[in-house]
Amino acid sequence: METVPVEIYGTPKLDCPSLIVGWQTRDVGKCSVRAVDFLIEKLNGQMVAEMKPSGFFSFGGIRFREDLVLAQGSQFWACEKDNLLIFKSDEPEFEQYRFLSILLNTMEHYFRIKEIYTLSGTMAWTAHTHPRRVLTVFNQRGLKEHLEGSGLEYMTWQGPPAISSYLLWVAKKRGIPGVSLWPEIPFYLSAREDPEALKAVLSFLNDRFRLHLELEWLEGEIKEQGEKLIRLRAEDPQIDGSIGRLEKGLPLEEGEQLTLVRKVYEVLRR
Amino acid sequence: MGIILYYEPELRKPVMFVGWPGIGNIGMLAVNALKDMLQAEEFGRVESWDFFYPRRVSIEDGLLESLEFPGTKFYYRRLGDRDVLLFIGDEQPSEGGKMYGRGDRAYQMANLVLDVGLKFGCRRVYTSGACVSPIHHRMKPRVCAVATDKKLVGEIKKYPNTILMSEIAGRGEEEGVITGLNGLLLGVAASRGMEGVCLMGEIPDWLAGASFPYPKASRSVLEVFEEILDIKTDLGFLDETERQVDEIVEGFYAKFPKEMKEEYDQRKVMFPNTPGPVTIQAQIYIDERFKKGGEEGGDGPS
Repeated sequence: METVPVEIYGTPKLDCPSLIVGWQTRDVGKCSVRAVDFLIEKLNGQMVAEMKPSGFFSFGGIRFREDLVLAQGSQFWACEKDNLLIFKSDEPEFEQYRFLSILLNTMEHYFRIKEIYTLSGTMAWTAHTHPRRVLTVFNQRGLKEHLEGSGLEYMTWQGPPAISSYLLWVAKKRGIPGVSLWPEIPFYLSAREDPEALKAVLSFLNDRFRLHLELEWLEGEIKEQGEKLIRLRAEDPQIDGSIGRLEKGLPLEEGEQLTLVRKVYEVLRR
Repeated sequence: MGIILYYEPELRKPVMFVGWPGIGNIGMLAVNALKDMLQAEEFGRVESWDFFYPRRVSIEDGLLESLEFPGTKFYYRRLGDRDVLLFIGDEQPSEGGKMYGRGDRAYQMANLVLDVGLKFGCRRVYTSGACVSPIHHRMKPRVCAVATDKKLVGEIKKYPNTILMSEIAGRGEEEGVITGLNGLLLGVAASRGMEGVCLMGEIPDWLAGASFPYPKASRSVLEVFEEILDIKTDLGFLDETERQVDEIVEGFYAKFPKEMKEEYDQRKVMFPNTPGPVTIQAQIYIDERFKKGGEEGGDGPS
């Protein structure tokens, strides 16, 4: 017997809100989770609904990060004052089409969303000293035109689709406009955090929804990370050379890439 | 979850051929070749997104242009007094990351395919796959058959180079399993009152885990398809693929030690009932790049 797949806990006062989707799994540079957690906290998000996990996940164990268990789940948070809905979830492992259909059914019929923004970091073969671009994928030309001049870059790519692209495709079939935001994260920061990329994506959302969020705190993180990397470059000529090559837009050998990833990971852990 | 028909052709007593990927891609290659030989026309598909994760996205200058799913297509061809329906699935719907169809989704797919067959008056369906056998790679593969009804046995025996599963030495009373949708579809067909036959081309047991196709067996299956439909075509298009695969297999064989080769070569004159040590030993000589990951499927000499 199939149970009701979404449990609604409350009826928030929202008027055709925008939906922000953050995936907890395959979260490059932890950009997606950090962004939605920050928004939920600062915008006084209230959990209003939850999607039941049965049938979508393997339940093969539980993930943890920094000694804390990460609760598996798919929750809807309402930010009434700013007329936003936030969906925070693990990527479904099975029945993805059904999962995305249930998500959009709930969004469309219960919350009457007007548009979708998904957040996912993407690995880039670039240096951390370069500005972070936010690559975008739109499912409708209209929204793309509407957001022109917002400092977004357009992605061109062919290959296996991420869950965000799949969601946009299902939304497109229903006539719901949507955009995926893919802040670029230097590959050697992807296993840690990239406050610069987080700032780029939060700044966009701040402007887009006039959230008036204070993002100064991120400057401290950016500065601290930058100083650690400056020290590493000073101490290790090989790392300095590798980052220098990336700064010039030159490629690295596989061995150099691995060394850079490992050493940066160690330094940022301290 | 459903079927999309672009139009509804008028068909007379159609017989249906169904192919999904499997060991050596024997069945899929055969049904695909039959489709090309008949110049069959695509007229519908199963909605893939209910069954599969998309394979490929196309994004151009920031616009999501398309999402590509594994193909699940229906074709037809009028042949006079007996028309042909075909279904070709690029992937088997499965659960838990398994390579071959299983679970509710596979059962639903089998029913959807047969829904279309029945809608057009089809009463018989043929599936095709691999029969993993202790044969020599230089032998012409036979076609091993399993049917849904005893009354089909007489007809099957008239097919060229075809043998009933029970006639294979040592398997008389044995039960076997046809893994995946090429098998499951027959069970669903029987329960819905349709006749069904699975035609499995033999593949040497030690090559069952290889990643390349085995066109020699597909050719044997195609010869049976020709007999069933009373058509004669030129199967020369298989020659080049066969030559390439033969070259790879002969390369492995050349590396067999002398004693092992002698034991293996006995397969040319006598059929062993069960796989011997040579089955396992021979697999060692398959290059890593030609090894397929995941579980095995199809019927096996167990």
